[in-house]
Order: sequence, then structure tokens, then C-alpha cells
Amino acid sequence: MSKSRKHAQLAEFWRRYRKNKTAVMGLILLTLIVGMAIFADVIIPYAKCIEQVGADRLQGPSAAHFFGTDEYGRDLFARIVHGSRYSLLIGLATSLMALVIGAVLGASAGYFGGMVDNIISRIVDVFMCVPPILLSLAVVAALGTNLRNLIIAITVSCIPGNVRLIRSVVLTTAEQDYVEAAKSYGTSNARIIFRYVLPNAMGPIIVNTTMSISDMMLSAAGLSFIGMGIQPPSPEWGALLSNAQTYLFSAPYMLLFPGMFILASSLAFNLVGDGLTDALDPKLKN
Amino acid sequence: MKKALAMLVAACTLTMAVPVCINAEEASGKTDIVIAVDADVDTLHPTDFSTTVELNVLNQLYDTLMYMNPDGTHDPEPRIAESYEISEDGLDYTFHLRNDATFHDGTPVTAEDVVFSIELYKASEYQGSQIAMLSSVEATDESTVVCHLDSPYAPFLGGILSPFICSKAYYESDPDAFVTSPIGSGPYKFVSRATGSNIILEANEDYYRGAPAVKDISFEVIPDTATKAIALQTGEVNFAEIDSSVLAQLDANPEITVTEVPNSTFCYVSMNLEKEPFSNPLVRQAINYAIDRDNLVAVCYDGEAEVNSNICAKNRNGYSEDQLQYTYDPDKAKALLEEAGITTPYDLGEILVAEKYSNLATVVQNDLKAVGLEVTISVKEFNAYIGDLTSGNYNITVLNMTLEGDTQTLEMAFTTDYIGTANNARYSDPDMDELFNQTRSETDPDKRLELFNQIFTKAQDEAIYAVLCNPLTLYAYNSSLQCPEFPFEGNYYVYDFAW
Amino acid sequence: MTKYVIKRILYMIPVLLGVAFLVFTILSLTPGDPGSIILGITAKQEDIAALNAEFGYDQPFLIRFFDYIGDIIFHFDLGTSYATRQPVIDSILARFPNTFVLALLSMCVSSALGISLGIFSAVRQYSVMDHVCVVVALVFASMPGFWLGLMLLIVFSLKLGWLPSFGATSLRHFILPTLTVSLTSAAGLLRLTRSAMLETIRQEYIRTAKAKGASNRRVIWKHALRNALLPVVTTLGGGFGASLGGAIIAETVFAMPGMGTLMTTAIRQKDVPTVMGATLFLAVLFSFIILIVDILYAFIDPRIKAKYRNGGRNRE
Repeated sequence: MSKSRKHAQLAEFWRRYRKNKTAVMGLILLTLIVGMAIFADVIIPYAKCIEQVGADRLQGPSAAHFFGTDEYGRDLFARIVHGSRYSLLIGLATSLMALVIGAVLGASAGYFGGMVDNIISRIVDVFMCVPPILLSLAVVAALGTNLRNLIIAITVSCIPGNVRLIRSVVLTTAEQDYVEAAKSYGTSNARIIFRYVLPNAMGPIIVNTTMSISDMMLSAAGLSFIGMGIQPPSPEWGALLSNAQTYLFSAPYMLLFPGMFILASSLAFNLVGDGLTDALDPKLKN
Repeated sequence: MKKALAMLVAACTLTMAVPVCINAEEASGKTDIVIAVDADVDTLHPTDFSTTVELNVLNQLYDTLMYMNPDGTHDPEPRIAESYEISEDGLDYTFHLRNDATFHDGTPVTAEDVVFSIELYKASEYQGSQIAMLSSVEATDESTVVCHLDSPYAPFLGGILSPFICSKAYYESDPDAFVTSPIGSGPYKFVSRATGSNIILEANEDYYRGAPAVKDISFEVIPDTATKAIALQTGEVNFAEIDSSVLAQLDANPEITVTEVPNSTFCYVSMNLEKEPFSNPLVRQAINYAIDRDNLVAVCYDGEAEVNSNICAKNRNGYSEDQLQYTYDPDKAKALLEEAGITTPYDLGEILVAEKYSNLATVVQNDLKAVGLEVTISVKEFNAYIGDLTSGNYNITVLNMTLEGDTQTLEMAFTTDYIGTANNARYSDPDMDELFNQTRSETDPDKRLELFNQIFTKAQDEAIYAVLCNPLTLYAYNSSLQCPEFPFEGNYYVYDFAW
Repeated sequence: MTKYVIKRILYMIPVLLGVAFLVFTILSLTPGDPGSIILGITAKQEDIAALNAEFGYDQPFLIRFFDYIGDIIFHFDLGTSYATRQPVIDSILARFPNTFVLALLSMCVSSALGISLGIFSAVRQYSVMDHVCVVVALVFASMPGFWLGLMLLIVFSLKLGWLPSFGATSLRHFILPTLTVSLTSAAGLLRLTRSAMLETIRQEYIRTAKAKGASNRRVIWKHALRNALLPVVTTLGGGFGASLGGAIIAETVFAMPGMGTLMTTAIRQKDVPTVMGATLFLAVLFSFIILIVDILYAFIDPRIKAKYRNGGRNRE
């Protein structure tokens, strides 16, 4: 494939993406959130988000503290801005890893069928039956606790679902005429899977992946009891939210702001995901 | 699917149509009480239990020999035993039983049953360690029980008053039912239990102290603190221990009364004395001065804890104002560090905590940083944390501990024998061991108090731990419920309640 | 078809053994022993050791594992809980109905909402209602379950006094928990149905059908929906599992004794028999649900049905 053709394809893709107003809005929102993560230190120094000011405990939003303060007297705006780094990293890394592994296993199972399908499906069945907390405990026991292992723990627990979904999507596409055609040309299996089968099964896969990002951000906090969360005092949205649960009655703003950011990023990823599905769809050329 | 939805909608409308009037209860004439508890009981075995919830339920079902106020300054009140005497040499404890006490099945409580109950308790891995030094127990006649000791042991009385008196005949006839549908000796009878959700008790009308005013008790399991607060406000729950985070909400409600009860639980920083620089008392004193306890209590307990740097709670036997209290003084902390030859900023390594203590660690980290001591927080799963704590695989940590009962139990935090269990500082000092040895056998209360004074003075001077506060137990209940003043440690007896 | 079902049921045996071994191993690797967890930090070493011996926890890993499996196979015995010292099956049977009803109700509500709104959205792609559906769904999906649950409690129990705030004794008790679980999970189904529908609507055969003059409604119901439902049904099967997961939060918030809380507590207490029993119990259930889902495929997708007719052998 020549460079210029690739370029033309990209331009065409972008032209189609741009037509979709909501997708563009999603992209702008996503850029803002990612920008916030990248330029966190420029927006507000990290020191601000661990600095405890006893006199400022549980203050509502004000000019000095845009999003108020927490029970330690720490600035919530700073914690949310810096928390975006961890949360985005966790959300993206886990969703992508689960997607890639799920795609390889699910596509192989669905495409090859027979023994391959059988083995993969049974292993997936085993993992689906084990409570996710136990899988995470196993990761802690085997690898210890740090950010990388946190990501592994979350990923492991959502791979089985992905494999099953992708397998089922592939089952439908694998028997389409163009796949049969490609087979008859003697195209290699890997090429068929990645060139024809997966792209045509993209819709549900992208939806599932983008939907899972906010789940992943929330689940990081759920693992904190086994020591798997982000170590305090580092901020992370899921932990901010679950900590705020205690102050539901007395300081509801503590729930509101991290919740809004998780929602905003979830919205952004989903809108962009939708845009991508449409723009990538080979059948929508006209 | 549509059909299922239609059915669900129908079911919802049907149930919605029934008017709910949970708020409309009248205080007068009310004879039942709903008590919310945090967790389900694992068992109702009178000796093989381990949690506070289990104790709270058993306290209504079973009576003990006598009732001892845990502050250690009151005389025991009669229950199954009307009186007791201790022999001159301190080796024999004789209890005289009342003759009108019966089990819930109507059979009388005999000296046989008491002996059986004590032996069962003593043999239990769960509770047996509470009765130390007992060599044998015998029924000398129908209504007299004598306990023989190996050697004089001052805290014995407190221990021997903890076994619940249960029926020997029932245990022998049906050991399973003994646990699953207990027949007790207390003011309430067991009615039923739904695993994971509730336990129902009813008044024992034949109770020897007179029938209870509150006739029916239902213990409902409500794990979430916010839900519990809501249920208290709707009137679905009448009495509950609450978390300080919902206090403001409940305090604002005139129909709910909240009571603070002091207890012996202490929140403390434990340093591993086997490791540098914590082996140096100056460093430990510096850490004691460095922490702003008032701020910690405000942040982590919403103000609902009593600031105290002494391991002995203020209401507890043995506490004295003469023992040193550490107060917040960062300048003094810095000076002590300098005296100890520590150049700040100094890296103390990791402060190891379980997740539920991470808020304490966050505050402590901040305070230590202010005097130039750097720590990074490392959170572990609770069981892994306890493993590291007891095996000494840590530098510094912050946690809560309860060593209730006689003040003697505080030896677990200080004596060489308890390194590997509750002596987290791994403190070992022959003088301290000897002092606790003396308090064991000293039967004269005043002399014993003086010994405790020496112990806590020594503990404070050497800054063995950095104790921070004693969290308060908070009880919230319907304002028309009359509860007597709760004793130290906050055990409650529904028998004393009335509407 | 029958042959296929029998084969699948036989496959469950290695899967269940795999689950049992995996869970048992994980539990053995995690720190702490039941004796010291139950008796606490102040307990004497000999009491802890005695209790562990009573539980048989002093035996080596493999012996404990084979004893456990042996008891299940030969005595149909799931063992005795370390914490309650009562048969594990009792606590499972006491809690399972609640969880099952909750998961089932939630699945019905969420699929009713999710699938119908998903189809609606897909058919009117890019309309205002489509956007509204998608955004509202996302709002619920990004909402932490405990928060939604507490909000529902505050509104319907505290403020309005319509519904009880805790317990599981009547169907009324299930309304709020069901809403909590299903509202958060409906979003996923909505989005999935929508995208799968869009995907199929664009397929050639749909265009052909349209070209042949089939009515729009007929095309959607007869042709598109069937094909679009395949991935949706998959997630529904998994969704039942997810509902169980979501149920943990609802169980905690609404104080409903269920499998989720049973398992979390047991894991924390290292109550091996309870964790094993509950996991295996659910594993059997999952396996059957997955099987049912796979059979459902066959009815929805005739191509797969054809495959089963060939004795389960796949192409090539």
C-alpha cells in the first residue's frame, strides 16, 4: 500500500468523522481531558493536592477551592486534575489490553472453531466462574502491589467477557461472503482475521471497550481493600468517589465533581468510539 | 422478555398500592425494638464466638454469674450468683447462686450448669484465654460453686464473670441445637434466625429479675452506614451503633438521640523498636510530639474520639493525670530529633497500613513531614498486614486495637511474652515484665493501682507507642426509647431499655 | 442438538475441576490462616494452632484439596464453614434465592430497557431522541452503583416513605435494588444493541430486502433484529454474571443477604469452604446459563443451527 494512498484514506476517514457532529464534540471533550492530564502540573502544582490545611476541612466550592476541599483540607480541584493521570491511564490501559487479548483469543476461537474454540472457550469458562476479587488477590499474591499490577488485575478480570463477546461477533462475520472469498484466494488466516473479520465486527467491540472505560476507572477504587488501589495520598478518581461516600450527607460536592469527570470521560470515549465505528465502516463509503 | 417486564410492572403496582406507614408508629404502647447490627453473627454458641455483634446478641440471651462494669471501679452486681467471696490466700473464689433462676425451657439453673458453663468456656479456643489461672471448678452443693486457682491472680474475678451460663442437659441432648436454637438463662429467649438478615428474640416473662419492658427484639443486619442512618430516620430501626460520618445528619433529627460512650479501644502509631531509628526513645518522643492529635481526631473520627496519648483510657482503672501526656509540639519534636542526632529531612521508609487505616496514615504522614520525617504509605490487604505486623516485618504503622477487660490485658502490648502477637512495638524490658508480674498477683486494689501507675508512667516516659486517641462508641436511638447511661466499653442490655 | 447439549454438559466437568483447583490455589497463596483471622491479634498461638487443626487447615495443600473434592464427589458435601461451623450449603441456600431473584429481575429490567431503547436509537440514528437515549444511558453507566442506590434510598425511603430501606422479605424490598443494578447495566445493553443493529442494517441482505420492497418495519423485526441480537445475547449471558457482581453493591447498600456479600466476607475471612462452595455453586449455574445462551444462538442465528446439525463439527 503506497504512502499516498494511506494518506488519502486517512483524509477520507477524517472527512467522514468530521461529518458526525457528536463525534467531533466527543473528540473535543476527550482532547480537553487528556490535555488536563498532560498539563496537570502546569494547571496546578502536585503539592497542592497533597497539602493538608486543617483550617480548610470540608469546605464547599469557593474561589480559593473551585471544587471545595476534602476531610483533610486538601484541594479537590488539584486532586481531580492530577487524578486524571492515574484514572485515564487505568481506564485506557486496562480496556486496551483486555481488548487486544480478548480480540486475539476471541477471534481465534470464533474463526478457527473446533478444538481451538473448545480449549479457549473452556478456559474462558473457568475464568468467568472465578470471582474477580479472587483473581485480583491472585495477582497480588503472585506479583505484589503497584500500579502496573493494579492494571493487570483489572485487565485479567475483564478478559473473559471480552473473549466471549468477540468470539460471538466473529462467528457472524466469519461466514460472510467476503471472508469466504478471501479464503478461496488463499489469503492467510491471520490476514483474514485482522483485515476482514475484525474490522467488520468492530461496532460491538468498540462499544464494549469504550463502555468499559468508566467501569475500569471505578473498579480501581474497589480493589483498594486488598491494597491494590493507588497508594495514598496520590489521587485517583475512583478512590475520590468511594471516599466521598462517607460524606454523602455532609459534603455531597465531594461526590459530584469526581463523578462528573468520570462521566465526562466516559461520554467522550463513547462518542469518539461511535464516530470511529461509523468512519471506519467500509460499507458506509457512499 | 416483554412478558417478564409486564409481570414485574404488575407486581410493582400491586405492592405500591399497599400504603406504607413506617413513620406512623406511636411511641406509647410500643413494646418491640429493632436493632441494626453491622454484620451477621457467625454463631450463637455461648463460648465459641469472636465478634462484638455476637457478644451483643448473646448478652441478651444469656446471663453471667454476676455483672461487672468494665471500668473496673464498681462492685459486681448479682445475676445468677447473688454473692461471692474470695479466700484469704486469694486461691478460692466461692459463688452463691440464687435459687429462682431458670433456663428458657423452664429447668432451674443449677451449680452443675455453672460448672459446665465455666469448663466449656475455659476449654474454648475462642474465649478460654479470658479465664487465666483457673485450675478447677466444682459445685460444692446445689447452689454453691467454687473456683480454685493455681496462684493468686488479681484480674481473675473479671474473667470468671464473663462465661455465659448455659444448660448442660441441653448441650448433652442436642449439641447442634445448642448452637442453632440456643436455650439461654437471660432476659430474652431465642425465637428465630434468618441467616444473613436477622435474629428475633422475645421477652422471657419468667426472668428472675422480672419480665423485661421491651418484649420483642429484632437484630437486623445492615452493613452500610448510610443505609443504617436512613433506616433510623424512617423509624424502621430503633437503635444502632453508628459511624461518626452520619452523626451530623442524625443529630439534626429531633426524633433521634445520639449518645457517646467512651471505650478502651486505642488508635496508635506503633514503631518497630527492633529497627533504627525507633530503638531510640528520643525519636519516639519526637514522633509523639509531632502528631497533631486534635486534627487527627477531627479528620478521621469527625471529632468523635477522646485525645489521649496514654495507652490506658481515661475512664479505665490505672489511668492518672500524673502520667505524661504528649501534646502537639512540632518545635519540641524537631529539637528531640536533633538531640537524637537525626538530620532532617530523614527518610523513615514505609508506613505500613491496612486499607481501613489509610486515612490515619495520611494524617500521620503529613504531620511527620512537617518535622522533617518522610514516610511513604504502603497499603496491604488486612490479613497480610496483620501477618507483617505480628512478625515484625514493618518499620512504622498506625492502627486501632482493643485490649478490653481488666487493665492487666494491656500487658499484651508491653511484655516480652507477647512479642509476635499484640506487642507490636516488640518492646522487651525486664523491669516492665516484672511490674506486670506483680500486678497479676497483687490483690490489694490500692497497691495494684500504684503498680499500674508505675507501668504507664514508664510507658509514657519511654514513649513505647505513640497513642493518639480513644475513639468513642456512638449509639443512635429513637428519642422516645429510654436507655440508661451506657457503661464504659458500651455493652448494652435491652433489659434496661423501655419505651 | 441433543448430542451437542450432552457434549457441552460433559465439558462442564473439566471446567468445574479447573475452577475448584484455581480458587483453592489462590486461597492457599493468600496470606493469613483461618485460625488467626477468627481469633484475632491478641490470641495465643496454641489456640490458633488448635483451631486450625480442627479445621484440618494444618494439612498440606494437596491433601486438603483432594479431601475437599472427594467429599463433594462421594458425599455430595460442600463442607463446613470455618466461620459459622455450619454446613456451607445452608448459608448458600439461605442467600441464593435473594441473589437469584435480584439478578433475574435486574436482567429482565435492564434488557427490556436496554434492548428496546437500543433498537429505537438505531432506527432513528442521529435523531434528538437517539442522542438523549445515549447520553442518559451513559450518565447511569458512569454512576457508581452505591451512589445511585443511596440516592434511590433517600428519595423513595427517607423522603417519600414509599419503600423499605433494607431487607429482602417481600417483593417490595426488591424494587430499589433491582433499579440500582439494572439502571447501571442497561446502558451497556442499549449501546450494544444500537451498534449491532446499525451494523446489520447496513449489511447487504438488509439492503436487498429493502430493495425487494419489504416494509421498513418488517426489515427491522424480521431481518435486522435477529442478527443484531447475537452479541447482545452473549453479553446477556455474561450479564447475568455481571448482575451478580453488581448485586454485591446492591446487597450491601440495601442490606440484602446474598451470594455477593457472602463471598466477599468469606474471602476476607479466608473461609475456604464457603468461598469454594459458593464459587462452585455459581459456576454450575453460570455453566448452564452459558449453555442456554449458546443454544439460544442457534435459534437466533440459523447459520449456527446448521452447524450443530453437522454434529457440532465446524467448517473445514
